[in-house]
Amino acid sequence: MPQILPDFSNSVKLKYVKLGYQYLVNHILYLLLVPIMVAILIEVLRLGPYEILNLWKSLHFDLVQILCSSFLIIFIATVYFMSKPRHVYLVDYACYKPPVTCRVPFATFMEHSRLILKNNPKSVEFQMRILERSGLGEETCLPPAIHYIPPTPTMEAARGEAELVIFSAMDSLLQKTGLKPKDIDILIVNCSLFSPTPSLSAMLINQYKLRSNIKSFNLSGMGCSAGLISIDLARDLLQVHPNSNAVVVSTEIITPNYYQGNERAMLLPNCLFRMGGAAILLSNRRRNRSRAKYRLVHVVRTHKGADDKAYRCVFEEEDKEGKVGISLSKDLMAIAGEALKSNITTIGPLVLPASEQLLFLMTLIGRKIFNPKWKPYIPDFKQAFEHFCIHAGGRAVIDELQKNLQLSAEHVEASRMTLHRFGNTSSSSLWYEMSYIEEKGRMKKGDRVWQIAFGSGFKCNSAVWKCNKTIKTTTDNPWSDCIDRYPVHIPEIVKL
Amino acid sequence: MGDQKSRVNVHSVLTQVSSGPSASVETYPLTRLDHAMGHHTIHVIFYYEKSPFGSFDMDPIRVTLSEVLSSYPPVTARLTRDDAGNWAVKCNDAGVRVLRARVGITLDEWLRSADGNEERDLTVWEDMPEVPNTWSPFRIQLNDFEGGGVAIGLSCTHMHGDLTSLILLFKAFSESHHGQAITFPPFFKPPAPPDKKFSVNNSKSTSYLEAKLQKQTPSVKMSTATFKFSDSVVKQCLSEIHDKCPDASPFDLLAALFWIRVVHLKGPKHDDHTHSLSLCVDFRRLLQEPLPYGYFGNALNFSLLSLNEEEMDCSMLGRVAELVHCHVSGLKEEEFWATLHWLDLQKEEGGKYAPPFAMYGPEFTCVSVEHMIIGDQSVMYSMNFDSAKPVHVSCHVGNAEGEGLILVMPSAEAGLARTVMVTLPEEETAKLCEDQSILRLKPTMLLRSI
Repeated sequence: MPQILPDFSNSVKLKYVKLGYQYLVNHILYLLLVPIMVAILIEVLRLGPYEILNLWKSLHFDLVQILCSSFLIIFIATVYFMSKPRHVYLVDYACYKPPVTCRVPFATFMEHSRLILKNNPKSVEFQMRILERSGLGEETCLPPAIHYIPPTPTMEAARGEAELVIFSAMDSLLQKTGLKPKDIDILIVNCSLFSPTPSLSAMLINQYKLRSNIKSFNLSGMGCSAGLISIDLARDLLQVHPNSNAVVVSTEIITPNYYQGNERAMLLPNCLFRMGGAAILLSNRRRNRSRAKYRLVHVVRTHKGADDKAYRCVFEEEDKEGKVGISLSKDLMAIAGEALKSNITTIGPLVLPASEQLLFLMTLIGRKIFNPKWKPYIPDFKQAFEHFCIHAGGRAVIDELQKNLQLSAEHVEASRMTLHRFGNTSSSSLWYEMSYIEEKGRMKKGDRVWQIAFGSGFKCNSAVWKCNKTIKTTTDNPWSDCIDRYPVHIPEIVKL
Repeated sequence: MGDQKSRVNVHSVLTQVSSGPSASVETYPLTRLDHAMGHHTIHVIFYYEKSPFGSFDMDPIRVTLSEVLSSYPPVTARLTRDDAGNWAVKCNDAGVRVLRARVGITLDEWLRSADGNEERDLTVWEDMPEVPNTWSPFRIQLNDFEGGGVAIGLSCTHMHGDLTSLILLFKAFSESHHGQAITFPPFFKPPAPPDKKFSVNNSKSTSYLEAKLQKQTPSVKMSTATFKFSDSVVKQCLSEIHDKCPDASPFDLLAALFWIRVVHLKGPKHDDHTHSLSLCVDFRRLLQEPLPYGYFGNALNFSLLSLNEEEMDCSMLGRVAELVHCHVSGLKEEEFWATLHWLDLQKEEGGKYAPPFAMYGPEFTCVSVEHMIIGDQSVMYSMNFDSAKPVHVSCHVGNAEGEGLILVMPSAEAGLARTVMVTLPEEETAKLCEDQSILRLKPTMLLRSI
C-alpha cells in the first residue's frame, strides 16, 4: 500500500501548519463571511439611519409583484422540503447473548476436532494453528447441535437455533423500545446460509402475530455484509412509506453449516464463525426523533463481483468427499483491500472535510500532471469519524484495515474485543461492536460512526451514523457482565 | 444371565462446559493416595421419578450445571503427565462428557427386573486411553425411562475422587438448581501430614498393603445384588445384639452379618485358616486437622480385620459386630499417614509413583458410607429436584476383583435403614439371595440377578 506523507511530517511545527491549514479550509465560508459582514456594517453606520429610510421609501412595490414573489418563495420552499429525503432514525437495537452452556473453550474445540477428525491429524494441526492466531477468546459460543460428538446438524436443530437467536433478540428489542408488534410496518431478515421454507421472516410474523399487510423481506446468500444491505433496503423503503417502523434482524445460523470434512480451506470458517444475532428498529416517524440513538447519514455499497477472482474468493462448494463447505481463497486479504479502496473512494467525498478532499485532489492532479512518482495521499478518516466498527471477520481483516486507514489501537478496540468475546458472528458483529462503544461510555451526541462490512461476492459496504443523543450505559446488553474486564490484551499466539 | 441385549440405548454424546473460563490454566498434581487408587473407577447412579432435565438442549438446568462445574475446575480438566511421569490434572475447561440414553421400560419395572450387571450400563465404563489428553475422566449419563423417570449416572476414575466427592458434587448441583447455598463447598488442598514421623514397619495398614501388592487374583464373573433393610428391622436387630455390642452402628451389624454369611457360603479355606475382612473407611473427619467434607479427592483408608477359623465358626453375630465396631472406632490418624508414607516409599527412580494395584480386594472388602449420615440426615438422599428426593442411589466400583465387595449405604428411608450392595462371584450371589439369615430380616431386593 502507498505510504503516508514523508517523515518530516512528524515534526511538531509541521503538525501545527497542518492544523492551521485544516481549520482554514474547513471553515472557509465562515472566514469569508466575516469581512463581508464587517464591510456591510461599516457601510450601514456610514450611511446613517435617515439615509437608509429614504432608500427604503424609494423602492416601488405594487401588490402583484409582492404576491408573485411571495408565492414563488413559498413554492420553492415547498418543493425543497417535499423532495428532501426523509431522515431515517435508529431508535434502538438489541444483540443476542447466548447461554453459557453454548460456550466453546479452546480445549473443548480442539478435543472435538481431534475426536471427529481422528484420521486426519494434519487437519487437526491446521485448525489448532488457526485457533491460536484467531484472536478469539474462551467465551465464544456455538449452537447446541455442534456440542455433540459428532455434530447433529438436523433441520430441526437449525430451526431451533434460529428461533432461539431471533426470538431472543426480538423480545429484547421490543422490551427496550416499547414497540408493539402490530406497529411493525417493514420487516427485513438477513441470514446468509440458512434459508428454510417458510422463510425466517415468516417465522417471525408467525411468532409475533404481525400485521397481514406487513412488507417482509428475507435476504439470504449475501454474506457477512448483508446486515448493511438490509439497512440500505430499509432506508429505501422508509423513503417511500411515510410514518413507518422497520425492523431489521441480522443473524447467521451456524448449525447447518458446520463443515464436517477434512479440506483445510473449508475448515477455517469452523474456527471463526460463532453464534450471534441482532435486531434493529429503524423509523422515519417524527416522534422518534428525540428518543432515537442514531440517524442514518450514508450507506455506500461496492460490489466487486464483476472480477472473477473476487467472485470466487469466498465460495460454497462440495469437497472431494461430497461434503459441503465454504472455501476461502488465499488472496482474500488482497481482494478485501481492493474492495475497501473502491468503497472509500466513493464514501470519501461524502464524509471527508474539505481540507482532506482538497489535499487529495491536489496530490491527484500533481501525480497526473507533474510527477507520477509522488506518493498518493491517503485521506485521514479519523477527521471524519469518531468511532469505527470494522466487521470482526478475523484478526487479519482488522489488522489490514487498521494499517490501511491508519487507525490507532483505540479505534479498532471495539472490533478486536468483539472478535475476542463473541467471535465472528457475521452480519451482526457490527452491532456488538456498537454496543461495546456505548457500554464503554464513549458515544456522545454528534459523534459519527463508520460501519464497514465485507462479504462474499465480493462486497464492501459502509454505513455512516450520527449519534443523536449521548448514550448512557445500561445493564440489558450482551456486554453487561464482562465489560469491566475489557479491553484485554490479545496475544499474537495463544499457546494451546 | 445370558447375553441379553442391553435395554439401555445410548443415543448421543456431547460435552458440557463450565460457565466461565478459569483465570489461568493450572496444573495440579494428584496425591499419592489418588495414584494408588488408579486401578479403580467409581460410579454412582441417582434414580428420580421425574426427570429434572426437560427439553435438555436449552433447559435452564444445564446452565446451573455449567455454573456448578465452574466451581470444580478439576472436574472439567484433563489428565496429563508431569515431569516426573506422575499424573496431574490440567484445568483447561475442556468440559465433562455427557451421554444420553433411553431405556424402554419404566423406572419401577427397571428396579424390579434389571440385574446388577445391567445396572452398570446406566453409567459409562471406559478404560483410560494411553494418552488421555482428549479423554474426559468425568462422565455423566442421563438415562430416560418411559413415563418420565431418570437415572443420572456419574462416573470417574478413582484417581480423581472417591464416593464422597462424587456425592457432594451432585449435591452442590441440586442445591444450585434451587438457588440455595452449597452446604459442602469444594476444597482442593490435599491434607498435609503433621510434623511427626511415622514408623512404617509395625503399622498394620502398611503390612496389609504389602500383602495386597503381592497377591494376584484370577478374574471371575461377578454379579451384584441390592438389599434394602428397613429402619424397624435394623433397630430390632441392634437391640438383639445389644448385650454383646452396645454401641453397634447399622454398619457394624450389617458388615458382620454379611461377612459371616459370605464366609459360610464360600466354604472352608484351603491355604490358611484366617478369615479377613478389608474395611474401607473415609478419613476426612478422622484426621486431627479435619478435612472439610467438600475435599475433592481420595481420603479413604483400607484396613484389615482378621478372625481365625474356629472363632468364625462358632461366633455369634453380636461378637463379630463388636469386633468390627472396635476396629472401626479404633482407627487412628497414624494409620492414614503411615499408608501415605509407605506409598511414598514405593516411588521409582525420578519420583514416579509405582503403578497402581487393586485397593478394593483381593479380600472380601466392606465399604462404610456412615460418614454420609450427618445428624439424622442422609446426605446421599438429600439431593432434591423439584422437591423430590432420589428414589434410590446405587454405587459401583470398577475393577474391584477378588473375593467380593459390599457397600453399606444409607437408604431413601431415613433413620437406621440401610441399602447393602453386594458383589460376589455369580453363584455365590445367587446363593446369598436365598440365605435364610438374611431373608429373615425381610430385605427388599432390588436389581438382583434372577
